[in-house]
Amino acid sequence: MAVDITLLFKASVKTVKTRNKAIGIGFDSTKDEIFKRSRPKSGFSPRAKEVITNITKLKDFLLQHRKDYVSAGSLISSDLSRMTDNDRDQIDQDAQIFMRTCSEAIKQLRNEAEKQVISAQIKEHRGAVLDLIETYLKGVCKLYSEQRAIRVKRMFEQENQRLISEMNSLVDEVRQIEGKVVEISRLQEIFAEKVLQQEAEIDNIHQLVVGATENVKEGNEDIREAIKNNAGFRVWILFFLVMCSFSLLFLDWYDS
Amino acid sequence: PVVLSAISAASSTTVEIATDIALKRMLNFNAPPLKNTAAEPVWKVLIYDRFGQDIISPLLSVKELRDMGITLHLLLHSDRDPIPDVPAIYFVMPTEENIDRICQDLRNQLYESYYLNFISAISRSKLEDIASAALAANAVTQVTKVFDQYLNFITLEDDMFILCHQNKELISYHAINRADIQDTDMEAIMDTIVDSLFCFFVTLGAVPIIRCPRGNAAEMVAVKLDKKLRENLRDARNSLFTGDSMTAGQFSFQRPLFVLVDRNVDMATPLHHTWTYQALIHDVLDFHLNRVVMEEGMGAEPSAGARPKKKSRKTYDLTAADKFWQKHKGSPFPEVAESVQEELDTYRAQEDEVKRLKSIMGLEGEDEGAISMLSDNTAKLTSAVSSLPELLEKKRLIDLHTNVATAVLDHIKSRKLDVYFEFEEKLMSKSTLDKSLLDIISDPDAGTPEDKMRLFLIYYITAQQAPSESDLEQYKKALLDAVCDLSPLNYIKQWKAFTKMAATPANYGNSGVKPMGLFSRVMNTGSQFVMEGVKNLVLKQHNLPVTRILDNLMEMKSHPETDDYRYFDPKMLRGSESSIPRNKNPFQEAIVFVVGGGNYIEYQNLVDYTKSKQGKKIVYGCSELFNASQFIKQLSQLGQK
Repeated sequence: MAVDITLLFKASVKTVKTRNKAIGIGFDSTKDEIFKRSRPKSGFSPRAKEVITNITKLKDFLLQHRKDYVSAGSLISSDLSRMTDNDRDQIDQDAQIFMRTCSEAIKQLRNEAEKQVISAQIKEHRGAVLDLIETYLKGVCKLYSEQRAIRVKRMFEQENQRLISEMNSLVDEVRQIEGKVVEISRLQEIFAEKVLQQEAEIDNIHQLVVGATENVKEGNEDIREAIKNNAGFRVWILFFLVMCSFSLLFLDWYDS
Repeated sequence: PVVLSAISAASSTTVEIATDIALKRMLNFNAPPLKNTAAEPVWKVLIYDRFGQDIISPLLSVKELRDMGITLHLLLHSDRDPIPDVPAIYFVMPTEENIDRICQDLRNQLYESYYLNFISAISRSKLEDIASAALAANAVTQVTKVFDQYLNFITLEDDMFILCHQNKELISYHAINRADIQDTDMEAIMDTIVDSLFCFFVTLGAVPIIRCPRGNAAEMVAVKLDKKLRENLRDARNSLFTGDSMTAGQFSFQRPLFVLVDRNVDMATPLHHTWTYQALIHDVLDFHLNRVVMEEGMGAEPSAGARPKKKSRKTYDLTAADKFWQKHKGSPFPEVAESVQEELDTYRAQEDEVKRLKSIMGLEGEDEGAISMLSDNTAKLTSAVSSLPELLEKKRLIDLHTNVATAVLDHIKSRKLDVYFEFEEKLMSKSTLDKSLLDIISDPDAGTPEDKMRLFLIYYITAQQAPSESDLEQYKKALLDAVCDLSPLNYIKQWKAFTKMAATPANYGNSGVKPMGLFSRVMNTGSQFVMEGVKNLVLKQHNLPVTRILDNLMEMKSHPETDDYRYFDPKMLRGSESSIPRNKNPFQEAIVFVVGGGNYIEYQNLVDYTKSKQGKKIVYGCSELFNASQFIKQLSQLGQK
C-alpha cells in the first residue's frame, strides 16, 4: 500500500532551508514567482480548459433538465414542472448548437496546433489532450442523444397508441355494421320467402280471376241471351196479352 | 473511498488487483479514481524508468493509459521537452541517476506540477537532494505529492509475479550460484530480493508465515525478510501493515503461507519440454511481460510457395481481457488448436447472422435509422450492431491466436517436440522407455542441439544412479556429434553430487503420458491445424517437486522432505528459531517463491493443483523467469568456470 511521504518531503525542504541559511546561501524567490504568474493567457491549455468548462456546463444543463425532459405526459396534469414539446425542441436545438460550437472549437485548436512549430512531444501531447476532450464531448453528446432517443421513442409510442385506439374504434364500428348487415340479410331472407309464398297465391288468384272473367263473360253472354230471350219472351207475352185483350174485346163486341 | 476500494478488493484478494488499484490511484494523482465515466478529463504526463515501464506494461495497455488521461508516457532518461501547463506523474526507482534527472527536470521547469512516486522506499538523504533542487529551482510548491509506492515487483498474472525484468542478470540463478561469488555480492542480491518481496507483502497487505528449507539461498532470503517485516511491525508509527493502509489482507481472516524454495531443489523442470499453451509460447517464441514478439512469415508452410516472404515483426499482447487466452493458457496444445478452430467457426456463424439481419432489413450499411421501428427485428439488429465491436475484437483475438498457435505448431513439428515431451515425462516418472536415449540424440531430424542437451540433462538429473563411465562417454560423443555444448553437464554433475549429499533427490511423482493415437482427431476435422504425425498426448495430473513441497506445508502433512523446514512468524514477539509450526490448521492462501528463477511449467502445475483444491489460493513468484534455452545458457556459463 502506498505511503504518502509528502509531509516528510516538506520537512526535508525545511531542513535544507535552515541548513542553507546557516551556510549563507539564499534564494531570490520573489522575482521568479512573478515571472511564473504571467503565463500566456491565450495559450493552448487555458483554451482547452475553457472548452472543457463549456462542455461541463452543457452536461450540467442537460442533467438538470433531464427529469423534466424525459418525463412522459403523466396523468397528473397539475405537475408544474412538465415541459411542453416546444420547450423540448428548444432544448434540443440549443444543445445541438452548443455541441457544434464545441466541436468547432476543438477542430480549431487542432488546426492551430498542427500549424504551430513545436516539438514532437508537445504536438503528441496536445493531440492526445484534444482526443480526450473529444471523447468527453462524445460522452456528453451521448447523454443528449439518449435523452432524445427516449423522447422520440415516446413520441412514436404515443402516436402508436393513438393509431391503435383509432383502429380499435374503427373495428368496433365495423363490427356493429356487420351485425346490422347480418340482420338485414336475415330479414331479407324472410321477405323473399314470404314473397315466394305470395307469388304462389297470386298465381292462384290469377287463375281464379281469369276463370272468373271467363265466367263473367259467359254470364254476360247468357244475360244478353237471357235479355234477348227475355225481350222476345216479353214481346210474345205482350202479344198474347194484347191478343187476349183484343180477343176479349172482340168477344165483348160479338156478344153485344 | 479507501474503504470502498478495500471492499471491492476483498472479494478476490489477488495481488494483481491490488497492484492494479494501486497503479490507478497513483495515476489519478494519488486519489481514488472516480467511477463516473462522464467526468471531466484531466490530462497528465507519465514519466517512468525501465523498472516502472515493466511494472505498468503487463497491467495497463496504452489505450487504458489514454483513457485515464495520460497524454504522453516517456522514459525518464530521454529527451523531454518542457510542457509547462501539464502535471507530471513520475514512477521511478529511487536510484542516484534517477534522482539526479528529477532534480534536473525541476531546475529546467519542465512541467507545471510534479507527483513523485517511488517504486520502493526512498532514503531520507535522497529526499533531501530533491528538496534542495526544488528550493534552488523555486519549485517547492510545484512538488505536489511524494509517495512510496512499494510496487517493486512485476505482476504478470493474478496469481504470478516476478521480481524484475531489467537487470535480472544481477539476481539470476547464475549470479546466485556461481562459484566465485563474494559475500558482499550475495548480500546485495539478497537485499534486492528481500526489498521486492517486502514491497509485495506491503501491497498484499498481509504478514505471512514463512517456511524455507535449510542451508541455501532461500534460507538467507527468509531470514532477511523475517527481520525486515519484524522491524516494520515493531515501528508502530510507521508500520505499513496496520490501520487503513491495508487493503485486501484486512478481510482475509487467516494469514497466508509463504514458501521459499531454491531453484536447486528441482533442476529438471526448467529444462523440460512442455505441452501446455502458455509454457510452449514461453519456450519456443519470444515471450516476456505478457508480450509475444514474432516475425511474420515465421514458419511459412512449404506449400505457400518458394518465394521468401518479407519478414516483419509483430507484437501481440496476451492480457487478462483476452478470454480465449485466460481459458486456454494452461490447456494442452491440441486442445488449443481445436478451440481456436471452434472459436473461428462460432465467429463466422455470428458474422453470418449479422449479415443476414442486415440484408433482411434492407439496411446495408445503415444502423441508427432502425431506432424508430419498434419491432422485434429492430432489437435484434441494434444488438447485432452494438455487438459489432465485440465481434471485431473477437476476430482480432482469433487471428492473434491463430498466428501464435501456428508458429508454435511449426516449432513442434520441425523439432519433434512431442517426442521430447513424451520421453522426458517418462524419464521423470521413471516409467519404462520405449526408445533409447541414444537414438533420439543421434537422430538428426529430432530437435535442435539444445533440445538434445535438455533431454540428456534431464536424464542425468533424474537417473537414480549415475550412468557408467562408458555409457557417459557414448552419450557425450553422440552429443558432440550433434553439435551440443557440453559445459552445462559439468555444472549439473557438481550439482548432483552436492544434492546427493544434502538431501533426498527430488521425486517427480507418477506422471503418465498416454498418447491418444498417432493421428489426432484434429487432422480429420479438416482444420487449419494439421497435426499429422504429431502425437496427441494427454497429460495426467502429477505434482512437480515444488507443488509437492507446497502441498505438504499447506496441508500440514508430515514428510521427510519438508519436516526440516524452518518456521518464521514476523508477528511473534520473540525471534523464533524453532521449526515447530504453531499453526495447526491447513492454510487457505499460499505464496510460493523460487529463489534462482522459475518458469511457466511450475506455474501451470501449481494452477492445476489449485484447481483440484476448493477454496485455496496460490500465488507463484520467482526472482526471474527464464525459459529452457536461457537457463541452459546460465548453466553453460556456470559449467565453464
